[in-house]
Amino acid sequence: SCSLSITVHVFSNLIMEEASPPLRCFSESHSSELFSDDGVQTVTSREQVSLTLSISYVCQFLARCQSPTGGFGGGPCQHAHLAPTYAAVNALCILGTEEAYEVISREKLLDFLYSVKQPDGSFVMHVGGEVDVRSAYCAASVASLTNIITPTLFDGTHNWILSCQNWEGGLGGVPGLEAHGGYTFCGTAALVILGKEHMLDLKTLLRWVTSRQMRFEGGFQGRCNKLVDGCYSFWQAGLLPLLHRAFFKEGDSTLSVSSWMFERKALQEYILLCCQNPGGGLLDKPGKSRDFYHTCYCLSGLSIAQHFGNKDLHNELILGRDENRLVPTHPVYNICPEKVAQAIEHFHRLPVPVQTGPTPSAMDQS
Amino acid sequence: MAESEEEVDVLVQRVVKDINNAFKRNPNIDEIGLIPCPEVRYNRSPIVLVENKLGVESWCVKFLLPYVHNRLLLYRQRKQWLDREALVDITCTLLLLNPDFTTAWNVRKELLQCGVLNPEKDLYLVKLALSKHPKSPETWIHRRWVLQWLQKECSPSGQELKDQAEPRGDAVGRRPCERLQRALQEEMRVCADAAGRYPSNYNAWSHRIWVLQNMAKGNLKVLHDELSSTRLWVSMHLSDHSGFHYRQHLLKALARELSQVGETELHPSKQPNGESTAGASDDNHHNDVIPQLFHEEMELCTDLIESFPGHETLWCHRRHVFYLWHQWRREHLQGAGSQSPPLTHTDVLLSEEPCDDSSTSQTMDVDCVLDGSKHGSYTQDTKRLKRGPLLPHPALPSEHTFVSRILTDCRSTEQNRFAIAYRKWLDSVIGQ
Repeated sequence: SCSLSITVHVFSNLIMEEASPPLRCFSESHSSELFSDDGVQTVTSREQVSLTLSISYVCQFLARCQSPTGGFGGGPCQHAHLAPTYAAVNALCILGTEEAYEVISREKLLDFLYSVKQPDGSFVMHVGGEVDVRSAYCAASVASLTNIITPTLFDGTHNWILSCQNWEGGLGGVPGLEAHGGYTFCGTAALVILGKEHMLDLKTLLRWVTSRQMRFEGGFQGRCNKLVDGCYSFWQAGLLPLLHRAFFKEGDSTLSVSSWMFERKALQEYILLCCQNPGGGLLDKPGKSRDFYHTCYCLSGLSIAQHFGNKDLHNELILGRDENRLVPTHPVYNICPEKVAQAIEHFHRLPVPVQTGPTPSAMDQS
Repeated sequence: MAESEEEVDVLVQRVVKDINNAFKRNPNIDEIGLIPCPEVRYNRSPIVLVENKLGVESWCVKFLLPYVHNRLLLYRQRKQWLDREALVDITCTLLLLNPDFTTAWNVRKELLQCGVLNPEKDLYLVKLALSKHPKSPETWIHRRWVLQWLQKECSPSGQELKDQAEPRGDAVGRRPCERLQRALQEEMRVCADAAGRYPSNYNAWSHRIWVLQNMAKGNLKVLHDELSSTRLWVSMHLSDHSGFHYRQHLLKALARELSQVGETELHPSKQPNGESTAGASDDNHHNDVIPQLFHEEMELCTDLIESFPGHETLWCHRRHVFYLWHQWRREHLQGAGSQSPPLTHTDVLLSEEPCDDSSTSQTMDVDCVLDGSKHGSYTQDTKRLKRGPLLPHPALPSEHTFVSRILTDCRSTEQNRFAIAYRKWLDSVIGQ
């Protein structure tokens, strides 16, 4: 049976969570899906019904987080925001049932994306909010999964993202800022979705991200001269599969056919030896407390480190026992590749909606 | 321990009142914090005010926060009314304890918009919230919103609107440009404080850059002042990559602004009188100032690297400054005999290197400038020669010399590694 035990957690601390419930849904369900099916058939039909009910319960909850004007908010009756929108869509794709897919109102989602699109190609995180490169990734992720990309939706976006790449090679939150792991992943992944990753200075980016792996700890730092943090196991190490693919598309003959360009074993050591809470869950670094965000991203990073390649060329490097093996995760969306394929297949059977809402607005000045 | 709902209610209302009374008693509170105190004490106020520091005993937070949070949400959902004063008090309490609560900041925005709060008051609340949560993204975002609001209020059209409305308080009486001036200085202080409370505070330094771009655009004086005022700060925070990144931003902005000033001087058509400006002290001013700035920055870097071995940030800073300098030279000193002063031997060496950077240089129309001011520039060069000894500008050979020197003297393995990596970078990236 699958370990989809998300429901219990989701409904506790609904109001008080720092990470909004949709983000919790995603981080928890993704953490769960990374653990592979142990192959044991569900024993009783009651268990199966219970699982189905749980999935349904989550779908209904996320439906309540969906704004009448499109997109998902941090909780029921909250304004739509790109971060919970990203998380909600990912969570629903992980659930992967018809009911889950149908929660998403594609037409309204498109309207929401247009409502946060800026003339310079960037996106604000929510109406009246601020721009940063995460928003482009959230928008590109949900739009590509649900097949709502219109010809004009991402006009200028790739150029804006490119302007976030700085001298160091990484990307900052907005043009001119310090290169930062989280923002770099978001910008790069968004460009991959838009098919424009080759326009980055890939070599400098490669030099920057590989310099972020700490030689003593084995984990990654978010920026130069900062401390290691377990979550960068995904945000930083996750860049290497994207870069590998980009270089491969350029026909680079010196590219490895057996490994991503970072020290995979060292990263796994850091995660397994330093980032586990004895009571379960994962964390930033020893001494810190566990949380769902770090659990999700440490595990995602572990998966990246364990699996090289794709369906055709795959090599595994599992540190420790076989039990440590996680399933591969999709390097762009960070949900299981099968779920990505399934969602894309489902939504591509539907036509791209026509934009009906307001036209792209300038940043709210009032 | 089970408390009745009434007990909690009474307690919380009291605490909210206590917090706000504290502010009324002492308008100079400059820091808030949580006092670890797990023992519940119903009879005593958990609010502690000592000098200008406001403390909240931790035991009350688990009652306080959900209560206040809930009341605000109920208000937002229109299930319970709160009058304006209650809203001010509640949002204040809430945000001091949990500044990442966007809804509360949004309520403050509405209170600002309808005139119940003035911008300076909210900026004060933000500053206090930052004293406890120096990174809080929502707080910095709200601060920028308030500053934009303030700018609008101080703009000519904003002033008209205000004159028509009723007077709201003392702050409004000040002249607008004075308000903005004070606000600008205050921003730098708030950023510096927050940067000191959390190492490599990305959000604080990003905010500082935003302030430069939105409240001091093209202001050379501010850029220069910031360069001098952060010099000491970075010297005491050697691993603060964000702080050094800020200096890199300042250098880039100064180089850009000064170059534009220089452009204006050298393009006669841009002058109203049609003549090219040829004031003896001003000509090619930027060509002296910019190299001087880079030179000083490299000197600072050298000093810090030598005094404090093994800080990666310093080497990263050196790379960036050298790269910026290298780029600027290529853009502005392209072609022989342009406005460049006759330089030291190191620069002669540099100019002999193959200069194949068409891919990286900006599209600067150097030719027209050369033609227009060839004679002028010769005279200017001669003038400059007479001014005194020239500074040796950073260049590849001098950088290699620096690395060798570090490697010879150094006893730190980290320093060794950084120096070798720097040399490798010089060869593979700059030297090409």
